[in-house]
Amino acid sequence: MTTEEYDTEMDYSDSDCGDPGYEDYYNVHPWDGEGDNDIDNDQSRRDPEYAVYDCLRIEEVERLLNEDVESLSNSLHITPSLAKVLLHAHNWALQDIIAKYRTNASSLLINSKIKPLPPLDSLSGLKSQRNGLCSVCVAIQSAEKFSTLTCGHSFCKDCWCMHFEVQISQGISTGISCMAQDCNVLAPEDFVLSLLTKPNMRERYQQFAFCDYVKSHPQLRFCPGPNCQMIMRSKEQRAKRVMCSSCKTVFCFRCGIDYHAPTDCNTMKKWLTKCADDSETANYISAHTKDCPKCHICIEKNGGCNHMQCYNCKYDFCWMCLGDWKAHGSEYYVCSRYKENPNIAHESVLAQAREALKKYLHYYERWENHSKSLKLEEQTLEAIKMQINKKVMNYSGTWIDWQHLFAAASLLTRCRYTLQYTYPYAYYMEPGPRKELFEYQQAQLEAEIEDLSWKIEHAETTNRGDLENQMDIAEKRRVTLLKDFLEKNSRRKEEGRGERERENISEK
Amino acid sequence: MANIAALRIQREFKEVIRSEEVAKCAIKVELVNDSFTELKGEIAGPPDTPYEGGNFVLEIKVPETYPFNPPKVRFITKIWHPNISSVTGAICLDILKDQWAAAMTLRTVLLSLQALLSAAEPDDPQDAVVARQYKEHPEMFRQTAKHWTYVYAGGPAKMPDLDDKIRRLTDMGIEEHNARVALSSYNWDLERATEQLFS
Ligand SMILES: [Zn+2]
Ligand SMILES: [Zn+2]
Ligand SMILES: [Zn+2]
Ligand SMILES: [Zn+2]
Ligand SMILES: [Zn+2]
Ligand SMILES: [Zn+2]
Repeated sequence: MTTEEYDTEMDYSDSDCGDPGYEDYYNVHPWDGEGDNDIDNDQSRRDPEYAVYDCLRIEEVERLLNEDVESLSNSLHITPSLAKVLLHAHNWALQDIIAKYRTNASSLLINSKIKPLPPLDSLSGLKSQRNGLCSVCVAIQSAEKFSTLTCGHSFCKDCWCMHFEVQISQGISTGISCMAQDCNVLAPEDFVLSLLTKPNMRERYQQFAFCDYVKSHPQLRFCPGPNCQMIMRSKEQRAKRVMCSSCKTVFCFRCGIDYHAPTDCNTMKKWLTKCADDSETANYISAHTKDCPKCHICIEKNGGCNHMQCYNCKYDFCWMCLGDWKAHGSEYYVCSRYKENPNIAHESVLAQAREALKKYLHYYERWENHSKSLKLEEQTLEAIKMQINKKVMNYSGTWIDWQHLFAAASLLTRCRYTLQYTYPYAYYMEPGPRKELFEYQQAQLEAEIEDLSWKIEHAETTNRGDLENQMDIAEKRRVTLLKDFLEKNSRRKEEGRGERERENISEK
Repeated sequence: MANIAALRIQREFKEVIRSEEVAKCAIKVELVNDSFTELKGEIAGPPDTPYEGGNFVLEIKVPETYPFNPPKVRFITKIWHPNISSVTGAICLDILKDQWAAAMTLRTVLLSLQALLSAAEPDDPQDAVVARQYKEHPEMFRQTAKHWTYVYAGGPAKMPDLDDKIRRLTDMGIEEHNARVALSSYNWDLERATEQLFS
């Protein structure tokens, strides 16, 4: 990730060298949500990447969540602990839960695994503590040693405690359920905490539960930065660029990975998985190469003929069975078939695999290449920063005279970043006029970026007006590409909401 | 914790031995050592399935945290089933994973496994190759499962035509089990199995 780059950007906007002109330029395309309130609606409309969000500490989020818990607990007259189970089960949709409770409280409580499924299996409930015998530890104990959830399944307190400890040590908290067979009733927080004795276990339980609450909350997202405890909050819930105010990690609010406009979250996930396993390359290699059975050198099959000769040791062998070619003829039933009648279906599968690979490599190479350029240009940015500092220190001009170079380099990074993420998007696009248009715009952005990059590298000889002109063109191209995506994305958001609700229903 | 595990296993061991299923020779459990940490289970292939007449041996390992964690169970006897790995015997069954409940017992596990043999769940496969065959070529699947039951679990149905195909491959120097796996995986298409074995 390119945190350093944004880091330096921050350093500059914070530093006293940020004169009005510089600030003005930067605010035209606010790159982060800092100072949200200062930017008027007009600018947010102009910048498709503009995102409204807060960066909160754990205590702040706890307070926010507790407000909802209290509010639900008051309006339904239930314990805060049960309110938490309900909110967690329904993605913190407070009003939704209240409405559902008013229509059919019992069905809501069953769906949220607070009450057992009817018919209540009272038999097994009794069975689990027949004659004071706990069916888990098979020990006989006095009645006050037993505890039970709403399902009536009764087990001894020591067993409950042990059950909780084992679950917590596996990272489970809000999902801890009853110990009876086929019973899915969840153990609410107050029940768990009343039986859990070890302080460190109680602490871990509460930490895990908090994580679960944040993860189930559509407006909250943990900062993915290493060891960072901050939590982003955005009412928009969109695939927008957010930056952690503490560790400066930049990521997509919706999915938490590196920001990836114009590619959407799901496509990005698919693309990254594809790049990670690189399966097509592996398929290609295994489909097209074999080791020579004699000298074990790697040989590529280049034609349809199965009679192979090793270029290294000149051994003649059969591609199908790797056997000695001279022994072939009639004995090997399978191979002779291949020899007489090369498997056309098989070949066409190979041809298809080759095509698929070619397409993938086309996009992958560009994706990789821009990623590498981005890293190089980060170094350029650093170098420019140092150069300007030096010039200012030597009284050869002030920041005002040189800042345009720094601005150009940051803009280049931003454009390159967007360009990199256009490739996964294009890879998965259906062929057709939309794709043609997209790739046309992509090519235009690419050309402007290379031009800008060249001008920055030759900054000493580039006219400032030229450079600023080029910056303007490149940024316009970038925004054109993004606008299409972000507008489509906001339409999808509505569909996405419907999807989440369907998921909830199917879970029940 | 270990104490509860041992107490529970002793008790469950007796429960299985006394159960009506043992009387009907449907399930069986034996101790492997005297620490109750490992047991050998056995289930009979259920009637009206390709596993009928076969006897399937299971390895049961009892974790220290038992019964708060499930026992670790796998098939020792090789079996052709969508939810059981034909290579390792690993089992994909919810109650052996997140659906385990501390109140369940060895008897529940053995009976659930027997039920799994009667009703596979191809949409939650452990062995993708078997699962595909189960869905796309159900008759081929039945034949293959029956054949494996005969060979590895002492089942009754000998299948000469399948044995024939295996012999074709063993004659070419392929190890018998490998030949059976390749043929089973390719719906007994001798040509494709050969291709796979030699590539
Ligand atoms: Zn107990
Ligand atoms: Zn229960
Ligand atoms: Zn952070
Ligand atoms: Zn995303
Ligand atoms: Zn050679
Ligand atoms: Zn050959």
